[in-house]
Amino acid sequence: MATIKIKKGHNIQITGRPENEITAGPPLTVFGLNPHEFRSIKPKLLVKIGDRVKIGSPLFFDKLQPSIKWPSPAGGTIKQIQFGPRRIIEKIVITRADEESTLKFESFKPLEISSLGREKILEIIINGNLWPLIRQRPFNKLANPLDKPRDIFISGWNTAPLAVNLDLALRGKLVQFQAGIDALRQLTEGKVHLSIEENTVSEILNVKGVEINRFKGPHPAGNVGIQIHHINPLRPREIIWVIEAQQITTLGQFLLSGEFDPALIAAVGGPGVINPTHIKARIGACLGDLLNNNIKSGSQRIISGDVLTGLTSSLTGHLGFYDSTVSVLPEGGMREFLGMVWPGSSQNRYSLTNAFLKFKNIIYSFNTLANGTERAIVPINAWENVLPMDIMPNALYRAILAKDIEEMEQLGIYECDPEDFALCTFACPSKIDVGGAVQTGLNLMEKEG
Amino acid sequence: MKIFKKIFDYARPKFEEGGPLEKFYAVFEATDTIFFSTDKVTESGPHIRDSIDIKRVMVLVVAALIPLYVFGAINIGFQAGLSKGFNYGWWNNLITGFKIILPVFLVTFAAGAFWEILFALIRKHEINEGFFVTCSLIPLIMPPTIPLWQVAVATSFGVVIGKEIFGGIGMNIFNPALVARAFIFFAYPGKISGDKVWIGGVEGYSGATALAIPAGQTDANAVSLLGNFSQFDFSWWNMFLGWVPGSIGETSKVLIIAGALFLVITKIANYRVMAGAILGLIITALLTNLMAPFSSNTMLNLPPHYHLVMGGFLFAVAFMVTEPVTGAHTDRGRWIYGFLIGFLTVVIRSINPAYPEGTMLAILMMNAFAPLIDWFMVRRDIKNRISRYAQ
Repeated sequence: MATIKIKKGHNIQITGRPENEITAGPPLTVFGLNPHEFRSIKPKLLVKIGDRVKIGSPLFFDKLQPSIKWPSPAGGTIKQIQFGPRRIIEKIVITRADEESTLKFESFKPLEISSLGREKILEIIINGNLWPLIRQRPFNKLANPLDKPRDIFISGWNTAPLAVNLDLALRGKLVQFQAGIDALRQLTEGKVHLSIEENTVSEILNVKGVEINRFKGPHPAGNVGIQIHHINPLRPREIIWVIEAQQITTLGQFLLSGEFDPALIAAVGGPGVINPTHIKARIGACLGDLLNNNIKSGSQRIISGDVLTGLTSSLTGHLGFYDSTVSVLPEGGMREFLGMVWPGSSQNRYSLTNAFLKFKNIIYSFNTLANGTERAIVPINAWENVLPMDIMPNALYRAILAKDIEEMEQLGIYECDPEDFALCTFACPSKIDVGGAVQTGLNLMEKEG
Repeated sequence: MKIFKKIFDYARPKFEEGGPLEKFYAVFEATDTIFFSTDKVTESGPHIRDSIDIKRVMVLVVAALIPLYVFGAINIGFQAGLSKGFNYGWWNNLITGFKIILPVFLVTFAAGAFWEILFALIRKHEINEGFFVTCSLIPLIMPPTIPLWQVAVATSFGVVIGKEIFGGIGMNIFNPALVARAFIFFAYPGKISGDKVWIGGVEGYSGATALAIPAGQTDANAVSLLGNFSQFDFSWWNMFLGWVPGSIGETSKVLIIAGALFLVITKIANYRVMAGAILGLIITALLTNLMAPFSSNTMLNLPPHYHLVMGGFLFAVAFMVTEPVTGAHTDRGRWIYGFLIGFLTVVIRSINPAYPEGTMLAILMMNAFAPLIDWFMVRRDIKNRISRYAQ
């Protein structure tokens, strides 16, 4: 199949890129799950403080779909359950025991998986508490097992700044990956699409039963939303399921062994990290453990996820359920004297426009400065130049502000996800949160549509 | 630098909530962020941001205008000397022109800043740096002989009616600088109608503008009329270089083109509107040239390259048409928007006998139609999407 070339977009040149090797990383002691990070669910606890849990034991379930439960990423004791305003469950913290045990389920041989059938696979995944691994588009929320997805999409290529190198993370895991794919194939009557970078020679190319799509171009070419848009766009009232590439191996491993293995490879990077690298981590690992003695001095912002779409966290926070990147950014920065007048240099300015002098492409040490305050839209095409979708961001933004549901649908909001608009926000001279607006629009669509 | 920091740190508590001057916080905030870039940090993802902001965008537009101010000053002195028959030299020309421009500039800024600050304080929003650009543009499109009270009234009208009543920069429908000029154009036509020229510093001196010459004669060849004109040198090259009388900033086409390139290279201005406008002007002028043999109207045989260097067209294309807010917001729409401005300019210049110059009116008219153009582009996009979904 021909390579799909993405022209618009931008690879942000940020310092602290993770080295292309996996280090063992510090020992992990505490784990956590944040129920409020999952959209459109009503979590209800299945455990209380002091309970002993195994890896894979259910921690809470969704009141809207009671069969769906979330697995514990560690074996040990429930140490803390933190509630927020109106008693939403903010996080469940588990301390790991010295000897962890794992909840055991039925295991299958590789060849058996292909012939289990849709109902059986759904039953295995849901009963094994692993259903939350699968999300749906539109709305980027938990999939509903009763839906029949048109296709399943997997991005085998991360383009987000400082994100995990998936070639590296999936190395040596072809058997598990294949097992996961074999299961997913039976969940849809359509295809399972795997998108990879044009020149990849990764071993996951040997996987069978998927449609391989080659992509080329800058971020956000690796975002699954952009890939869906270019391969076979999401139409209104269609549903597509997506799953993180690393979590396919988790799923495959579970089918092959009957045990949930929450291990994953995480990238630790950013200007605030001393040794940016890939480390062995787990779903829900404590960020303080992952960043042990690896943060530069000074005030730093700890982010679970990449610097564009991640959530602000802290050293006591936890890696998000779907995240495999930890980013650290210096908080704030110098107030430059007459900063708006000076020509600027590659050292102290980074812009997609040529509004500052730039003689060479320097890898830039970003901080959290917003570099301006919010203004009304001044449409100099900053959004359009970094959005590789056939979507009119300006018109869509206006429709969202006007809460015009019909217009939003016509402008293709179902195909959109905030993560695909993160670069628009990055580049916006008026400092408008375009991704946040898209989220508002999607929430409205979900409620009213 | 440290002294400024000390001053601001000293003043800040007085303007913050609870301080005696808290009502004027917007003024403090604006001054503070002019001197020191803001220390505001991102609240959520994206945690990092591009270095560009609207302040920088506006500063770059003003930077592109500075050479026009300098040339405008020199040219005012040069024209004043020429009318008396001698040359003062570069330096004296600059001083003469500067003495005329400075009061206009100061009055514009005082009036503009007054309204901007007043609205910011009453409506409790930040002072928008957009008024820098508006107020830098207004003097450049005024004749040097303009009375200062007219400048003040026009600026007030432009800023309040052209911008603030819509909610400020980003929400305005018409280009505020052009609204200001249109106000004088219709309210006090004696000073700015476009058929008489204005020489600064010389009482009672008048002549015809380049555009008024072919407009005022029937059954003649426009180019030879201009070439034979004795009072001013209206040859193509001289008009291109800008040593002709006119509004303060519009004459030097060389510097205007340089400024336009600067804005395109920095990615502040969109080349599509400029290209569309120039294309529209050239094609329409060629069409009028085809019609010329059937009419006694001399303007119809004015060739396109003369249209380009006469009047304020190029200046407007570089700095007014490119104004992103009041123009079309879609790329295809920008071509149409620009093209129609070029088209209307020639139509008003050549076919309407009342106004020798039509650029300003063409832009204001298209400002009004830009949302309609965008509406059609959005419908087109929706239609395409529906047909794609149907596949």
